[in-house]
Amino acid sequence: MTARSGSVFGRLLAGAGGALLFPVLAILISFAIGAVIILATGNDPLAAYSALISGAFGSPAAIGRTLVNTTPLIFTGLAVAVAFRAGLFNIGGEGQFYIGAVTAAWLGVSLGFLGPIALPVVLVACVVTGFLWGAIPGALKAYFGAHEVITTIMLNFIAINLTVYLALNPLRGSSLVPGTENVAAALRIPVLGFGLGRANLGIFLGILAAVAAYLLLWRTKRGFQIRAVGLSPGAANYAGIPIGRNTVLAIAIGAAFAGLGGGVEVMGVYGKMAVPFVSNVGFNGIGVALLGRNHPFGVVLGALVFGGLFSGAQEMQFQTDVPLSLTVVLLAVILLLVTATKLVELILGKRARVLTSGTRLERGLGQ
Amino acid sequence: MVEKRTRGGGPSAGIPKVLEMKGVTKTFGSVTANDDVSLVLHRGEILGLLGENGAGKSTLMKILYGLYKPDSGTIFVDGEEVQIRDPKDAVRRGIGMVHQHFTLIPPLTVAENIVLGAEPRKGGALDLNRAIKETEELSERYGLKVDPRARVADLSVGVQQRVEILKALYRDARILILDEPTAVLTPQETEDLYGTLEELVADGLSIILITHKLGELLGVSDNITIIRDGRVVDTVKTSETNEGALARLMVGREVLLRVEKGASEVGAPRLAAEGIVVLSSTGATAVHGVDVEVRAGEILGVAGVDGNGQVELAEALAGTRRVEEGRVYLDGEEVTGLGADERQEQGLAYVPEDRSHKGLVQDFSLWENNALKTYDEPPFSGRFGRIFPKIMRRRAAENLKAYDVRPSDPDARAGSLSGGNQQKAILARELSGDPKAIIAAQPTRGVDVGAIEFIHRQLLEQREEGKAILLISLELEEVRSLSDRIVVMYDGRIVGEVGPNATDEELGLLMAGRGSGVGGR
Repeated sequence: MTARSGSVFGRLLAGAGGALLFPVLAILISFAIGAVIILATGNDPLAAYSALISGAFGSPAAIGRTLVNTTPLIFTGLAVAVAFRAGLFNIGGEGQFYIGAVTAAWLGVSLGFLGPIALPVVLVACVVTGFLWGAIPGALKAYFGAHEVITTIMLNFIAINLTVYLALNPLRGSSLVPGTENVAAALRIPVLGFGLGRANLGIFLGILAAVAAYLLLWRTKRGFQIRAVGLSPGAANYAGIPIGRNTVLAIAIGAAFAGLGGGVEVMGVYGKMAVPFVSNVGFNGIGVALLGRNHPFGVVLGALVFGGLFSGAQEMQFQTDVPLSLTVVLLAVILLLVTATKLVELILGKRARVLTSGTRLERGLGQ
Repeated sequence: MVEKRTRGGGPSAGIPKVLEMKGVTKTFGSVTANDDVSLVLHRGEILGLLGENGAGKSTLMKILYGLYKPDSGTIFVDGEEVQIRDPKDAVRRGIGMVHQHFTLIPPLTVAENIVLGAEPRKGGALDLNRAIKETEELSERYGLKVDPRARVADLSVGVQQRVEILKALYRDARILILDEPTAVLTPQETEDLYGTLEELVADGLSIILITHKLGELLGVSDNITIIRDGRVVDTVKTSETNEGALARLMVGREVLLRVEKGASEVGAPRLAAEGIVVLSSTGATAVHGVDVEVRAGEILGVAGVDGNGQVELAEALAGTRRVEEGRVYLDGEEVTGLGADERQEQGLAYVPEDRSHKGLVQDFSLWENNALKTYDEPPFSGRFGRIFPKIMRRRAAENLKAYDVRPSDPDARAGSLSGGNQQKAILARELSGDPKAIIAAQPTRGVDVGAIEFIHRQLLEQREEGKAILLISLELEEVRSLSDRIVVMYDGRIVGEVGPNATDEELGLLMAGRGSGVGGR
């Protein structure tokens, strides 16, 4: 059934190639549809797309903006992907991200006296608060049967309002811009330099997080359990794998990634939690995970696509008459194609079925 | 199995053909399910359609019933070429189907179920009285006894099947297709069904009986069409064939139908339960205080009609279902409080009755499935919760080869294998760990004859090695040919124990709960 090539590397490449083909096709089709829309509004698609691409990757500053956009999406994408492996839909990435952010904004100030060594402490604290926040819907699902989609959505409102309250009241800073105090400069995540602007080492933390998620899912007992529960609760129960505990852990571990993402955003980009804080990274994480087929490495690539589109759109709007909202259309079409696999089969014919089979990435990379 | 009845089976010349399928081909992707299949059904004939699982019987019948569209080929009903686009077309042409899994609505009454979708109306409303009257008439005419006012949920499986048949007859079916109709019946119910079928054909109906059980067709059919790998291998007169010949045609080689059971030394009890009470998933008491004891070197068969607590008993012994009362012992030690994982580590193997939802994670590779229970034990796992896929894959490759799983590629997705090979993959996992006791629940359910032979041999080998085996099966023949002792379960109790030479009648009475009243406790 599986293509056998000589080396492990070859197999990995073949699997990744097959898995990548489909999202790439989805992106290309959505750009084609976008071109029609641009034409219909009396603009030149070539000019718009070249502005989009140069705005995303055309200069160090552009690349820097793309990386800044990409970093939080990796974390929130992982939050969705890890839970999804246990068969759970974590819609709470937004709130989990905020919880991590407020944790960092608080400890980044109060532990400032410790100097740079406090940064890892702050980030670990973000992981912990994200984890605990995620354990709530996990436990509600596992032990009380409350559907995680509902509870994670509801907990978003609680998290966002709670953190905004904290940022504007006990943690309120002295600056005129509403939000928390600036964290100690020594604790900030160092920027990359090379003219990349605000892009910082956080992007590497994101990639490390993806590697960690991969190792967790495919190289540990816990990951084996989570995946077994996700693919077949009946078989997991038969094998003596506790479903409840793994349900709690899968959402909580995912939420820990989102919490870390919030911390990285505060410690890397803003140095504080401003109000209003960045919005929609949690929700876009769902799209990132879908585009990345719920695989940690796919999430990194998916985040890069989203991040690039967001930064490129600014340039496109600046240089041509095509509005920012076109990116929303492009993303919507991409996600539509990625999720509605039957639609792609309809467009590309039966042959595309191979490409849309969901487990390819997992089989290719997960070995 | 069933008393051999000689039906007419005479030459079919002169009797009109009610149905003919010519050159039917159906492919799914690269798989050819039906390859140029032709088949003829005469008026008043019972035609057996015999083939292993996956041979293409069901696909062919689904084409006939309008559920699939054939790639090519033609269908004639009463000599007239017809297009059957959906089940409605099929019903209009007088084709009725009794599915293996009933399509009844349990809370509704028999009459309501029968008229559903073709209701007699008075004004705009359902004319329930007429529905009841028509059901009664139909029931009387064909000798299919049912109470039109009874709720389907309260009926036994055999009676529910009768309702399914009446449902088809109510729609004026002249051609009746029955898909594995005896899978859920006791021997007596099977006898009743065959009696019914004879009356139906005497009335001019024609019947296609789909099955993978050889013995069944001999007693009841006129002709048998055998399908293998999507092709018609042969059509034979029932009166001119026998089990061995049919098995050969079906599998394509010689098969041992009855395994030779060697001698075995019976030792100490290895797996035992004392007065266990177990609840079903719905919370009802499914096992009412059962005692069992399986000793080393013996196979204890558990016979019974499906749904009498066998699944719950197996799960309670294996540790995947809570025991409310009583105790479970493994090799003399109490394990009542231990989970499935711990019992497995102490030497309990469990082949579950449902391989697709329990036995295997369909979307896991074979190597992951092979380690489904042992992923947390060395050498598959090490410090810091790590697991070692390479070692898992290597071990799986050895196991798959040893148990003749095809393909033996450890990277193959479990769900891509045929039923028989999936079952062998489960056996490979469960038996390779050198267990002390084995629970085998319906180990050959829905697998082909070749795989059955293999699985039976493996179980007997384990018996000779001194393992204690609890065999739960709905197939009487299987229980009898493998077991050293047989207990019968009815309504959550063990209602009797018999030897392996018990007759159909003895077992059947016990299975129907009409035994000599030997209590469970």
